[in-house]
Amino acid sequence: MRSAALTLLLCLGTAYAQDADEAALALADKTETQAARTSDWRVLTEGALIESIPRNGGSPTRAQRLSLDALYDTRLAANWRAVVADRLDLAWRGEPTYDDLINTLKEAYVSWQPNADNIADAGRINLRYGVATGYNPTDYFRANALRSVVSVAPTSLRENRLGTAMLRGQTLWAGGSLAALYAPKLADPSNGSPFSPDFGATNNQDRWLIALSQKLADDFNPQMLLYSDERNPPQLGVNLTRLLNDATVAYLEYSGGRSASLLAQAQRRSDNVEFRSRASAGLTYTAPSKLSVTLEYEYNAAGLDRNDWNALRRGAPGAYLQYRGFVQALQDLPTTQSVFVAARWQDALFVHFDLSGFQRIDVIDYSRLSFLEARYHWDHADLALQWQHNSGEATSEFGASPQRTVWQAVVTYFF
Amino acid sequence: MFRTQSSVKAVLGGLATLAILNVAHAAPDAQAILAASDAVRNPGKPFALTTTLVEYRDGKQTDSNTLTVYSKANENSGQFRSLIRFVAPARETNKLLLKSGNDLWFYDPSSKASIRISPQQRLLGQAANGDVVTVNLAKDYRAELAAEEDTQDGDRKTRHSYKLVLAATSPDVTYHRIEMWIDTANNRPVKARFYSESGRHLKTAYYRRYQSELGTDRPTETVIIDGLNPNWVTVMRFSDYAWREVPESWLQRDYLPRFKPE
Repeated sequence: MRSAALTLLLCLGTAYAQDADEAALALADKTETQAARTSDWRVLTEGALIESIPRNGGSPTRAQRLSLDALYDTRLAANWRAVVADRLDLAWRGEPTYDDLINTLKEAYVSWQPNADNIADAGRINLRYGVATGYNPTDYFRANALRSVVSVAPTSLRENRLGTAMLRGQTLWAGGSLAALYAPKLADPSNGSPFSPDFGATNNQDRWLIALSQKLADDFNPQMLLYSDERNPPQLGVNLTRLLNDATVAYLEYSGGRSASLLAQAQRRSDNVEFRSRASAGLTYTAPSKLSVTLEYEYNAAGLDRNDWNALRRGAPGAYLQYRGFVQALQDLPTTQSVFVAARWQDALFVHFDLSGFQRIDVIDYSRLSFLEARYHWDHADLALQWQHNSGEATSEFGASPQRTVWQAVVTYFF
Repeated sequence: MFRTQSSVKAVLGGLATLAILNVAHAAPDAQAILAASDAVRNPGKPFALTTTLVEYRDGKQTDSNTLTVYSKANENSGQFRSLIRFVAPARETNKLLLKSGNDLWFYDPSSKASIRISPQQRLLGQAANGDVVTVNLAKDYRAELAAEEDTQDGDRKTRHSYKLVLAATSPDVTYHRIEMWIDTANNRPVKARFYSESGRHLKTAYYRRYQSELGTDRPTETVIIDGLNPNWVTVMRFSDYAWREVPESWLQRDYLPRFKPE
């Protein structure tokens, strides 16, 4: 009797599977695919409504933003390639001001590749090194690269920035690469006019960098960097990644070398030059449900420890503001330690709906920056609602922001 | 002398007949069948193709992606490395995925970031990264012949097939165990069932729409049915097959920002 029931269940299961397979195949029979071709263009436009709630409890302020972002990457001839990337941000904040219109010339360069393994480039390149998620000590060309901040999300800060004018050569071999670049001083100081290419921001000193990577094992391909500029002795950088299991990637990004503290640099002093390290170490775990979680520890020996940070916060406002402005332009950490936690859940709750967020915690003053985003996407358009919240004491890293909370509704259309 | 030669020929002929009869009754080599079926799916030299994925949930189309896949086998391991370029939709244009075993790198031309991702991190809707890259199963699995039986193929025709059970021998694989039906007449893959380490049925795949591509008849469509929810269906279409040499030096993270095919 029991075996008969089992046989019946098995038969029903097989019949159900066959029906399901038949339905799937019938669906496939009716599927029509359209030929899609690669494009040299990537163009998007973005509109945003922004509401900011100030930290002093005043009434909220509203603003609107319209952005146009274009990337053109084409072959000029068999061995020649040209890349131009530009972004225009227009903002209305109640009444027109000079910064209502900002153009960011992100990239404009040509590449010559005489053979498969050798490449030379000249022009403005948005060059980014680093395997970490929240803080990239080896992203040496991030300093002064931001002209218009439309979001505090790390991906946005990396994407919407000025490249650096440079000459670069790269040679590759099976499992390895060697690149060298020279970024000359072209202008100083920075030029804030709306359509300036602003080489004074990115090319205000001579800089050079050498990057070497070599695959040492199937799963191990370290990258070593040597960077130098006019103001600091050479810095050594390292990028390492390791797969811990099917779902987890571990990473370590390190930069170290002799330099003055950030406070001394901000005050144009060079009295405390010593060996200082910067590092980010973290893990990204992905669950089968498409939820990815990143936990990252960030360290900056050139930042201020608790005593010095507290002393600066309680001291003269001018020195404090000078330091904050200097470190913000460098996109560095003002204090010695931070923790970054991020999560992204693709197809959360339903298809095409993504939830993401992160929190930066300054371990020295316990202030926090929180960011959450809900995003729905169609074929050509995205609709996102973003929430940003700064918490902490008035002069802490994140509590000092004039906005307590910022809401942003963003519509993006991809052409 | 002549008689002697005739006798030797007769004996040799008899031995040959015995050997043939013996071969005819020996169990087919499951690993060789699997390798032959790999050769039906995958060209023997570096190549490129266009893969279009159309996803359905409960009978309604929910997603569509177009990718260009460049594949080249590793001379030592025989396993393919794949460089995948996203063609459509517009928001994904020109993003890249490099897969060499469990070494996966994702590159976004907007942020210029090359990010290492884990095999579990999926970039497409229902399809695993391992579903869209080229894989020689015989290199990563030990095959055993479980049965010879008739099975229905993706075109609803009955095919006399070898049923192979594949057990993973490499940690780099997407699926722990696979049941695969291969046509006894021509080694064409007919269908496959994929299982997790815990034995959970993850997916069923039908290989169909055979047509001549790069010198032999190959499946130009795979229909993937989710094991947990059979109403989740992905149709993968393969087109624009072409021989395409991929220099060894391009199959690394540092080349991703440089990748610009004609």
